[in-house]
Amino acid sequence: MWLPVLGLLIGLTLGLLTDIQIPDQYANYLSIAVLAALDTLIGGIRANLQNTYDEKVFVSGFFFNIILAASLSFLGDHLGVDLYLAAVFAFGVRLFQNIAVIRRILLNKWSFPQKNKKIDE
Amino acid sequence: MKKSYISITFVTMLIGIMLAVQFNSTKQSDDRDTRDSWEIREDYTEAQELQTKLLQEIRTNEEKIAQYETDRHNSKEQVFLETLDELRAEAGLLETEGPGITIKLTPITQYIIPGESGPFVSSDILRKLINELNMYGATAISIAEQRVINTTVIREVAGVTKIDGYPLNTFPIEVKVIASSEDQANKLYNRMQISSIPDDFFIDNLSMEISEPKEKLMIPKYQNDIDVKKMEPVKEEGGK
Repeated sequence: MWLPVLGLLIGLTLGLLTDIQIPDQYANYLSIAVLAALDTLIGGIRANLQNTYDEKVFVSGFFFNIILAASLSFLGDHLGVDLYLAAVFAFGVRLFQNIAVIRRILLNKWSFPQKNKKIDE
Repeated sequence: MKKSYISITFVTMLIGIMLAVQFNSTKQSDDRDTRDSWEIREDYTEAQELQTKLLQEIRTNEEKIAQYETDRHNSKEQVFLETLDELRAEAGLLETEGPGITIKLTPITQYIIPGESGPFVSSDILRKLINELNMYGATAISIAEQRVINTTVIREVAGVTKIDGYPLNTFPIEVKVIASSEDQANKLYNRMQISSIPDDFFIDNLSMEISEPKEKLMIPKYQNDIDVKKMEPVKEEGGK
């Protein structure tokens, strides 16, 4: 359980210690990619809690979403349309939905520790 | 279950790195924007001081350059070099360019009797021409692309007139004359118009055409070495 948090901390310290900076014009893509990654992560946690977790789906979704989001904003940049807003919207909505589901699952878990099996969406 | 944790850990690590990079990238621009007006004022003053300093440096350097220039201009060496160049130009050792006229000597074909020898430029008339040109303000003369200088030899050798050893037997012969200025070139042209030299050439079956003054004429430099035989430098007295 603590392993993912440890991974996050390790990643943060690594990133901060290496002091990598990306050029301003790519910062947009990175922020979209971060959003996609967070969405996938939250989705993965939710699936884990619902016991529907599939590692292949999770890992492929992680990379695929990042690439798709970044390429969408890239395309938007070149077309002059703010296509990254589509990604922000989709990921944002899903992020909140997933977090809401996780919250309900956890509330159920803690409120009725014996009825764990009955939990569904 | 353990395997899934490993992949999640990997993903979270990647997210951490991405977040950190993003943070690093945006942090710097935040730093720039958070300066308050006093800090900006201070920075501005500093920049102004730097500018003044740089301007001062530029000024001193420019002064130095100007000083070097005047030193160089006034130096004895420079004067010597300039004099040397002037003397070389005067002696005909440099290619000369300037306003002037060209004189073309062409044989008059209808007066040539078959069997007689071809047209011939007499050295006497050529010398007279050069003297007259010099008298009228010519600064440089070339005959058939041969520069005429003070020591140029014009003489007849075996029936052919030679100028510094170069035979003048291919017609037309072109004489280029450069004057010191365009006014001088005009004067030269006008004087040559009323000169009696064309008549002298006419006797030798040669017609003399004088071109209108041109703005730019090229006269080649003297091609042979100047052999100084009977001159010696004056020994300085009292000097080193």
